Amino acid sequence: MDPTTAMYVAQGIHGLAYGMILFLVASGLNIIFGMMGILNLAHASFFMLSAYFSYQFLSMTGNFWVALLLAPVATAFFGILLERFLLRKIHALGHMGELIITVGVSLVILAGVKIFWGTESLPLKIPPLLTGLVSIAGMDYPIYRLFIIALSLVVLGIMALLLYKTRLGKIVRAAVSDADMVNALGVNMPLVFMFVFGVGTWLAGVAGVAIAPILLVFPGLADQIGMDAFVVIVTGGFGSLSGAFIVSIIFGLLSSYGVQFLSQLAPLLMFIFMAIVLAIKPTGFFGERE
Amino acid sequence: MTNKVLKWILWIVLLAILAAYPKLFGIYYTNLFVTFAVFAIFSVSFNLLLGFTGLLSFGHAMYFGVGGYGTALALKHIQGLPLLPAVLIGLVSGVILSLIFCPLVVRVSGTAFAMLHLAFGQLVHMLAYKLRSITGGEDGIGGFPIPPLSIPGVVSINMKTPENFYYFAIIVLGISLWVMWYFTKTPFGQIQVGVRDNAMRIDYLGFKVPQTKAVVYVVAGAFAGVAGSIYALFQNLISSGALDIFTSFTPITMTMVGGIGSFFGPVLGAAIIQVIEELSTRLTEQVELVVGLILILVILFVPMGFVGLVRLLREKWSAPSAPATDLEKAS
Repeated sequence: MDPTTAMYVAQGIHGLAYGMILFLVASGLNIIFGMMGILNLAHASFFMLSAYFSYQFLSMTGNFWVALLLAPVATAFFGILLERFLLRKIHALGHMGELIITVGVSLVILAGVKIFWGTESLPLKIPPLLTGLVSIAGMDYPIYRLFIIALSLVVLGIMALLLYKTRLGKIVRAAVSDADMVNALGVNMPLVFMFVFGVGTWLAGVAGVAIAPILLVFPGLADQIGMDAFVVIVTGGFGSLSGAFIVSIIFGLLSSYGVQFLSQLAPLLMFIFMAIVLAIKPTGFFGERE
Repeated sequence: MTNKVLKWILWIVLLAILAAYPKLFGIYYTNLFVTFAVFAIFSVSFNLLLGFTGLLSFGHAMYFGVGGYGTALALKHIQGLPLLPAVLIGLVSGVILSLIFCPLVVRVSGTAFAMLHLAFGQLVHMLAYKLRSITGGEDGIGGFPIPPLSIPGVVSINMKTPENFYYFAIIVLGISLWVMWYFTKTPFGQIQVGVRDNAMRIDYLGFKVPQTKAVVYVVAGAFAGVAGSIYALFQNLISSGALDIFTSFTPITMTMVGGIGSFFGPVLGAAIIQVIEELSTRLTEQVELVVGLILILVILFVPMGFVGLVRLLREKWSAPSAPATDLEKAS
């Protein structure tokens, strides 16, 4: 195979891996928004927090898989605390209060990781099983990127099963369209809200652990992906999971091919894409509400 | 003594204090006051959107930064540009940028408005950061000449001395506050509050909602540009840091702390935050922690801010009737 094609394929894999990570983060954000109407601006901070947790668990146990399992759960626990003790208290104040309080939380998390782990970039070692390249049909693929794509697909599969095949999923889907009605039917909605918030931050947590070995763990980790995830759900449409999926993949590919061809100005491609979509349809690709 | 006389005396005392301030407190606190003036203009222009029209912007820093860049670039490239036109260029830069974005943003409100500004703010920040040849990136544009304030043939005041710049800054602060205050008191200002409280009804009454939002948006952008312009002149430097997300959070914090429902709330908020920052930087390096905790605590316990707290206390003695915001009604 000639080098040009190989380059295209390699960049494609990178783009897909980033797109999947982006989708994990954006879908958590979107589920929370769709159901509770809360746009969690601290979402990306939970993503970063999870990366730090995985570093901590890894240095304590030395096992990547333990870190992969425990760090998102620990992150979800903090997410639940935020919902239970802050967001629920100020729900009556409306969306402005919720947006601003999540900004406050993201600043506190940022300061927290700086205090506990310092400002240096921390490396995360992955097990030998996931390092190196694998050769399929005469082409080499980096195993870890393929692992990220596979992991995201597995998580997505679990989420889809949960959402469409269980009673809980039914309640969640009903609550997305009318939470008050579901509450009146005798479902304990505050508990469901807490659970959904936990799941949303757990998704961000999984993405955080998955990206940590590639990007290293540092306090600025949340900036890039947080902004990208917000742009994804604005472009894809608030509350729309399929919109978020399509736009995440497009952005992933745009950023990896963009770096190849435009280098410096690649991040602008995303914003241009968003501006075009919004100029045509202000609610985003698949969005029905503002 | 009548109430009116008392009011005049209070004004005169306030002006006397402001006039004597540099003599009383020395150069360090004079400079601190200039920073306060800059952020007071910035926060009040932000509150035109949040408090009066109900639009929360997470990207107001772009108008602040663009005003600063406008002034700095003009002074750097145009030889012998006087001071007032330079500030005017800052204002016009803010107007132009807000005219570019307003067709997109006035069609949405609430969370979508906030998110669009988060994205556009980042976009402008990234442009300033990457286009090094024009903006100087992270290093910014510094060392441009600061022209004296001159009326040809009458006076020429050197702006490089902190004391003179202080007087210049409070005059700009006074004029900006007065113009914005007057703006909210016009019949148009009432429509603006109507858009906040019930946009659909304003629409039925025959007023144009998106156009109203657009006018407020441009005015807010213009005064944020003035604030940025004064900031650039004061620091003699403007860098891409002035456009970043933390600069956008600053007026949000100041407005929330001061009081969202009142015109002068953000001014008080700016003063309170200045004092807190001044004290906290002596104790800890974690400015984010302090700002974050302030935001959380204010929303949790005093959602109407300082002015709201004062109003609440005063309500126990008398029964004033001020227009309440959404936040106030809910609490």
